[in-house]
Amino acid sequence: MPLLSLLIFLPLAGALLVALLPRERADLYRWVAVAVTGAEVVLSGLAYAQFDRGMAGYQLLEQADWITLPMGSLGVASIDYLVGIDGISLPLVILSAVVMLVGVVSSWSTNHRSQAYFALYLLLTGTIMGCFVALDFFLFFLFFEFMLLPMYFLIGLWGGPRREYASIKFFLYTLAGSVLILLVMIGLYLSVIDPVSTAIAAGLIDAPGDMTAEVLRVIHFQLLHGQLNPAQLVHTFDWRYMADGGNYLPNSFLSIFGEVSIGGVPSRMLAFWALFIGFAVKLPIVPLHTWLPDAHVEAPTPVSVVLAGVLLKIGGYGFIRVVWGLFPDGGAQYATVLGGLGAFTIVYGGLNALAQNDLKKMIAYSSVSHMGFVLLGVASLTAEGVNGAVYQMVSHGVLSAMLFLLTGVLYDRTRDRRIDSYRGLLTPMPRYATLTAVAFFASLGLPGFSGFVGELFTLMGGYQSTYLPGWITAVSTLGIILAAAYFLWTFQRMFFGETWVRAQVDGATQTLPDLTVRERFLLIPLALIALLLGLFPNLVFNLTNSSVAQWMQKFME
Amino acid sequence: MPDSTQTLLLTLLMGIPFVGAMGLGMLKNHVSESVSGFLAVALTAIGLLISIILAISVRHPLHWQTNWIAFSGHTFPLSLQLDALSRLMLVVVHGVALLVQLYSIHYMRGDARIGRYFAYLQGFVGAMLGIVLAGNLLILYGFWELVGLASYLLIGFWYHRPSASRAATKAFLMNRIGDAAFLLGILLTYVQTGSVNFGTEPLTTAAGLCLFMGCVAKSAQFPLLTWLPAAMEGPTPVSALLHAATMVAAGIVLLARIHPMLSPDALTVVAIVGTVTAIWGGFSALFQLDIKQVLAFSTVSQLGLMVAAMGTGNVSGALFHLLTHACFKAGLFLAAGSVIHAVHTQDMRAMGGLRKAMPYTFAAYVVCAAALAGVPLLSGFLSKEIVLGGAFSWAAQRGGPAILIPLGLLLSSGLTAVYMARQLRLVFWGEPTVSDAIPHEPGWLMRGPMLVLAVLSVGIWFSVNPLSVHQSWVFAQMPLAVLSEGPVWLALVSIALVVLGGWLGFRMREPATDGKLALLSFHYGYLDQLYQTIFITPTRKFASFLNRTDQRAVDGLVNGLGIGVVLLAHIAAFVDRIGVDGAVDGVGKLAVGVGQLTRSVQGGRVQTYIATAVAVVLLLLWILT
Repeated sequence: MPLLSLLIFLPLAGALLVALLPRERADLYRWVAVAVTGAEVVLSGLAYAQFDRGMAGYQLLEQADWITLPMGSLGVASIDYLVGIDGISLPLVILSAVVMLVGVVSSWSTNHRSQAYFALYLLLTGTIMGCFVALDFFLFFLFFEFMLLPMYFLIGLWGGPRREYASIKFFLYTLAGSVLILLVMIGLYLSVIDPVSTAIAAGLIDAPGDMTAEVLRVIHFQLLHGQLNPAQLVHTFDWRYMADGGNYLPNSFLSIFGEVSIGGVPSRMLAFWALFIGFAVKLPIVPLHTWLPDAHVEAPTPVSVVLAGVLLKIGGYGFIRVVWGLFPDGGAQYATVLGGLGAFTIVYGGLNALAQNDLKKMIAYSSVSHMGFVLLGVASLTAEGVNGAVYQMVSHGVLSAMLFLLTGVLYDRTRDRRIDSYRGLLTPMPRYATLTAVAFFASLGLPGFSGFVGELFTLMGGYQSTYLPGWITAVSTLGIILAAAYFLWTFQRMFFGETWVRAQVDGATQTLPDLTVRERFLLIPLALIALLLGLFPNLVFNLTNSSVAQWMQKFME
Repeated sequence: MPDSTQTLLLTLLMGIPFVGAMGLGMLKNHVSESVSGFLAVALTAIGLLISIILAISVRHPLHWQTNWIAFSGHTFPLSLQLDALSRLMLVVVHGVALLVQLYSIHYMRGDARIGRYFAYLQGFVGAMLGIVLAGNLLILYGFWELVGLASYLLIGFWYHRPSASRAATKAFLMNRIGDAAFLLGILLTYVQTGSVNFGTEPLTTAAGLCLFMGCVAKSAQFPLLTWLPAAMEGPTPVSALLHAATMVAAGIVLLARIHPMLSPDALTVVAIVGTVTAIWGGFSALFQLDIKQVLAFSTVSQLGLMVAAMGTGNVSGALFHLLTHACFKAGLFLAAGSVIHAVHTQDMRAMGGLRKAMPYTFAAYVVCAAALAGVPLLSGFLSKEIVLGGAFSWAAQRGGPAILIPLGLLLSSGLTAVYMARQLRLVFWGEPTVSDAIPHEPGWLMRGPMLVLAVLSVGIWFSVNPLSVHQSWVFAQMPLAVLSEGPVWLALVSIALVVLGGWLGFRMREPATDGKLALLSFHYGYLDQLYQTIFITPTRKFASFLNRTDQRAVDGLVNGLGIGVVLLAHIAAFVDRIGVDGAVDGVGKLAVGVGQLTRSVQGGRVQTYIATAVAVVLLLLWILT
């Protein structure tokens, strides 16, 4: 069964189905959406079951020729439909499936233009999955760009008062980042050949199955010494080939020998930074983060959940897979700067969170701070740090989903998200208070919950790293103090004391009913997942370990 | 006892409180209020029984570990260990917890959230056992934080009170500062030794001090001591269990575990911090008006004494003082709770003459206070002598200014007698203040635990010889070097100080809270005000400054850029209209290639990108070749 393709195309088919359903069957939209995202969870579970944890390389590969274009003396252009997963993408695929399901259930009461809403939502699901399983840069980029479209409309049509500003800002920010990614993608394409197809074109072998290490060596040798006919060179977007230095053309734009420089700076270094900025927008890394608070504040609850739970992770995934994965030289050279940027993001996000009065903004800035740990972990170039970074992404995906759902619970009741509009909520809403406390403590890194493990191992990586000076990690540790400060201060202000709720101008309800069954049905499993991951971190590390170990080898040289 | 039995008992020991916490949390108030209390007591009693069995039957240290986290050759096992220290602490934690919970059944009667209260207490017991049994630093840290959570929940138990909720946040945050440093210390340990095990070799001084910071926060050492007096907002039995007898002693347990890992320089810092804390706490206790605040600062001071003992290499002395202190300080808190229960105030100025109305409470209070002050024949005398003696012989070896450490400890020991005598006089002597109801003794559920702890504060339980502890069973338990008590003159000086201090305290005139010295003591050296001025206010101001910067400068730049781009677009459109014809020829060649590509791919975006891609490709090739 082509599992990964199903993961991508099932939601796309679902989106089509929702779009085609007649208006009279409006109640079916959400059922289609829940069935599809539920199936995604099952599919990702199957992928988990079939995944061989001991193996480092890509698994469950599916490949098909998509576009092949002879370009005369420029060689052959080839774009493949190529999907596969490894230990780095699998945890994120599972996370995405779960968070998307949660998002659908929390969208249950969306009645405003629900057909378009659920169609776009499913479209978003498919493109997100595509991002995590694509192994061809072009294919990835297609999904990466296409993801913006549903997101733009989901914020822009179903958002809060300033939704248009927020959605355009989100769109432009990400687009600006993608332009940089695009440029580097083209540069890479020009510089990298597909050794298998080139061998076939050069007549060394007859079929891809005949490829041996010996042939590969010959191809690499001939490539290095310019013995290959340019017309026989098959260029490729395949990440697997891009990650192998032997496949780079000498004297090409991004040649690993760094012959080309622009304005005195080696082009590979420029490309590294361009890619970094492209993905840093998504994560986000300060100072490229200002779209995030606005997008979160204006987005409806389920979209916030997806945004924080999944979309940000594409940035971190891009770091590992693309930025560092294809440019290990840049990662090693600029490790100190990047780690410092991570530490800065951690502290900057934390301090900003402390100053917020809007609950959603507070959580948005806490996301910024928590994503700084991902950068710190990756930049450390240690097994602890990189495993920790992937873990931190999974953990934050679960916890931020929970946090935004909790914000939504309150907003649904009062249409007011200001922290100082509430006091003593513990009395009327004890269950809500308990789950908020769980989410807050889990997020501030209480051992036993997942947040702690992610922070622990990224920090441990920071210290273990030969690239990062100790003070960077020491500064990052401030982040866990700040997290305790902003979460507990918020909790104290909103939940403790005598009960008081600011009078609403528009006469919104003053009674505060405790969590409904549906809300509990969403929140409690998330809390249990965070607990499960916190108690058994090996659930994630067992998946990531081999792939990260292989990834690390680039930096050992 | 076979290993499998021991493993089973250990699992039970750790499992019972956590299961109990969850069970009681779910039961909440579905059962009548005393049921949850007695259930909790029964669970702790089972735990105590197991602890005693283990303490008697296990002779050699027991290690139990299982794989927890492993990758790339790095392993972080989940490990527990049962050695002399944990055997001792198991009995202490369970014993005090049992008495405090019995007491709570009566004390908390009528509270709407009593089920939750006992659930939190059980959770605390479980976490505390985890600290005691932890087999490596990482596991210890995990339970360390859980204990902090239990403390947070219990301090803020009466969350309606703004002061209680503030105190809870303050306690957790101050502890978090220490814990962040502690975590750094663990990471440094990992970097230096390759594992997170309790080491036997000294680490660098910096790493050792980072580890020690965990103790500074948890055991309320200078300068992170101000959360402990604030923590008195919690119910009084909680103060007895967490903030006097056990939780704050976790720092001492930590020090005992990491003692071999501290370099000589680090140990000197430990001794200094402990001594400063002992004096600071003792001085601050002098002029408090709240009955619990006096005890809180006394706890700070006594913890300082234990930390200083650790710093002077006297591990066994520190642990011995921990043990005796747990009994008499818990007894004092329970007796104070009994007083508060009777007079409905914590202000000592509104008390007085209670010795006749509450004879049992009075008796328990006097015995425990005397033990705390170090009156001979009581447990405190024994443990203080061994701490002071150790400090003096440590100073004698070093010479020079090292003598300040034992002298400081002696001073703090004298202060103890002063503030306890003052408190006794304010509460139990003098004339009864006017009050609506005549105060009366609480029921036996409260009286019992209090009296048991008072009885346990007598020296005979710890050592048959009232002046020397060398034959004590406590030290027979601990495979540690026991330092001598010090010379006879030290005992005599101590006794003289107790007498003098007691006399001073009893004679101290009230109210004396307007003098500069008294105000300094009452505000514990204005530490809170200092922190407000130099940390909290600046941090919050800086945070809102950053937030404004974020919105105006960083985001303003983005918005400005946006406007700029739009402007540029208009200019480009203008240029396009004017100059497009001239440019057509120039791009003609490119257009052929672009056209080929765009025909072959469907979909608007894709086309644009491929067109761009190819255009750039050609352009680059043209430039490069």
